[in-house]
Amino acid sequence: MRARFVVAAALAVGCAVVATTASASTGRAQANKLTVWLQVDAQSGWPDVVAAANQQFQQQNPGWTVDVQYQNWGDHLQKFNATIAGNNTPDVIEMGNTEMTAYMASGAFADLTSAKSQFPNSANWLAGLAKSAMYGGKLYGVPYYAGSRVVTYRSDLFKKAGIAKAPTSLAQLVADVQKVGTMEKNVKGFVPMYIPGTDWYSALAFVFDYGGSIAATHAHKWVGTLDSPQSIAGLTAFKNLFDTVSTKSAATLDEANPAPYTVFSQGRTAAILGQAWFSCCTGTKYKSVTAQFVMPSHVAGKPIPGFLGGSDLAVPVQSGNKSQAEQWIADFTSTANEQSLQAKGNIPNATNLLANTVNARAAARSWFVPQAKHWVDVENGNILRTMLGQILTGKLSVKQAASTASANIAYTLNQS
Amino acid sequence: MATAAGTTTEWSRRRSLTWRAVARGAVPYALVAPVVAVMGAILGYPIYSLVRISLDRYGLFELIQHKGVYIGLKNFGSVLHDGVFWHTLVRTIVFAAANVGLTMVFGTLIALLLVKVSAWVRLLLTAGLVLVWSMPPVVAVQVWNWMTNSENGVLNYILTELHVGNYFQHNWYTTPFSQLSMVTTLIVWAAIPFVTITVYAALSQVPRELIEAAEIDGARSWRVFLDVTVPVITPVLLILTSLSILWDFGVFTQPYLLIGQPHINTGNYLMSIYLFEQGYVSANFGRGAAISILMLVIVAAMSVVYVRRMIRIGEVT
Repeated sequence: MRARFVVAAALAVGCAVVATTASASTGRAQANKLTVWLQVDAQSGWPDVVAAANQQFQQQNPGWTVDVQYQNWGDHLQKFNATIAGNNTPDVIEMGNTEMTAYMASGAFADLTSAKSQFPNSANWLAGLAKSAMYGGKLYGVPYYAGSRVVTYRSDLFKKAGIAKAPTSLAQLVADVQKVGTMEKNVKGFVPMYIPGTDWYSALAFVFDYGGSIAATHAHKWVGTLDSPQSIAGLTAFKNLFDTVSTKSAATLDEANPAPYTVFSQGRTAAILGQAWFSCCTGTKYKSVTAQFVMPSHVAGKPIPGFLGGSDLAVPVQSGNKSQAEQWIADFTSTANEQSLQAKGNIPNATNLLANTVNARAAARSWFVPQAKHWVDVENGNILRTMLGQILTGKLSVKQAASTASANIAYTLNQS
Repeated sequence: MATAAGTTTEWSRRRSLTWRAVARGAVPYALVAPVVAVMGAILGYPIYSLVRISLDRYGLFELIQHKGVYIGLKNFGSVLHDGVFWHTLVRTIVFAAANVGLTMVFGTLIALLLVKVSAWVRLLLTAGLVLVWSMPPVVAVQVWNWMTNSENGVLNYILTELHVGNYFQHNWYTTPFSQLSMVTTLIVWAAIPFVTITVYAALSQVPRELIEAAEIDGARSWRVFLDVTVPVITPVLLILTSLSILWDFGVFTQPYLLIGQPHINTGNYLMSIYLFEQGYVSANFGRGAAISILMLVIVAAMSVVYVRRMIRIGEVT
């Protein structure tokens, strides 16, 4: 009986191991090959800039090849961690500016302080972006580009509806898109302004517009502040906008599936809210009638505070090609390339390159996430997306959802 | 002398017999040895490594250093005191029970149908089942996405066209329950072929004369099924059930991809996703290893009941 039990237990453990373990493969860096990880934004938005940088690098380094591998925001950090474990990291990696702190604090990136002067326009880098690449007084990344959120709209529909100029207040924006929506009511599935419900970058702009915030430090501890009266007012304003101009089916959708510009390119909306480079992908049919304006605040005449998102380029400490990596970054962030990025709807990495674009005007009022080591866990844990989904589906009241999210954020940020 | 010679011969024969017996007895062990060696290498080392990491603080900093810091059982303590762990465990058990139950019921019913239908229909059904079986989970998720997405999903289109209701842009993934229900449909759909084909094979082993005898004695078809067919196919049903429990308790690909990373949260965690989020996404590998070991123990505890019954059935037959 006992022996039978032991055999059964051993078999069961064997089966359980098969069910709960996974394998991973590792590789080795190839000689004279520079591996670069960029986000898919570059692949869809500015592949010509990438190609120009590669060409310049290869002219300077005969015999070298550049292997650009495009990653998704959702899982690139897990993949990067796997390469760290396998001593097979890329030579250059694009990091979101909210992701840098945890990796810099852990010693994942090479110190670029002494090489700073070799990067073009480094004396004039955007202060906010440069700050995200600094830790302990040292430089661990090179600002790549920034972007604010703007409204991309169909100028033909606005014109047809008799709207002559861009709205300067939230109330006017709502009235305008509703007017277009009424005009296009016979187009099946037409949404006046398509907003993916769980796009927290857009939603939290309302929190900051009403004087709210995400979290603050008090007695050396993080305290969640999404349940403050100002934050709740902002979330309520976002819910009202969503209920009025967007579609209920998008309440739990994110900004990647479907991308707002896809909805736009299918002729199913008059306006979308998101990055300025969305104008790249509104489809050939609507390319000539794609225009943009700054998302207005509830206070007339002001822009709504936009999330100043951005990317930095870092060299993983395990890279065996550090000097080549630095050179590629210098080529990629050259003045000409940064100006191309600006032409495609981004904010360049240096103040001396800034033009009077809609993106730059939108960045006049901006907000940023709490600069905490564990902020990336708040993002990855989808705490904000869950809260927005609960609010927009009506599963929880704004106050209930904000209180839960606030407590979860404080718990996550205060982890040791 | 003669006696001495006889004793030597006797001893020599006995020694030869003993060696032969030992050699004969060692054959099974020698045959099993390669399997044990391979299992030890592919399971033993990962388990050792997993246990070692579970006793360490092993985060991003330690990953870069390739060296953890020993903290004893603190990872296990923090997991067992985490309310999310217990909620996730209960949710996963309910989820696995529903999936296994539906898979076994529908799989067996289709197998019984295969026995009744004509050869042509059986061939068509089997071909369809094999096609489903051969589809990789990632591809199946894409097919499900295509059918159920709110923007232009074919399911919404068909339901609306059939006047079942207005399903235009209906979102099938708004709540944790609806998300996991969609995952269940995918998992059960993909798991049915294996169960059906295996149960069908078992049904073909049920002696025809036993069924005829029961029918002659006046037993109705339901009683014949319960008292004649089920006892014969029980070993197969037990194997399928235990395998399904293992698969469905640890399922990751389908829920993670179908629900999508931006919508994974503590409200829809299954154990494997909880493990992935805590261990990999939050880069807390020590805690992730502790969750892995706890999962291992739970799955082993659930499986031991079935494995014991299988062994008992094997001894009886």
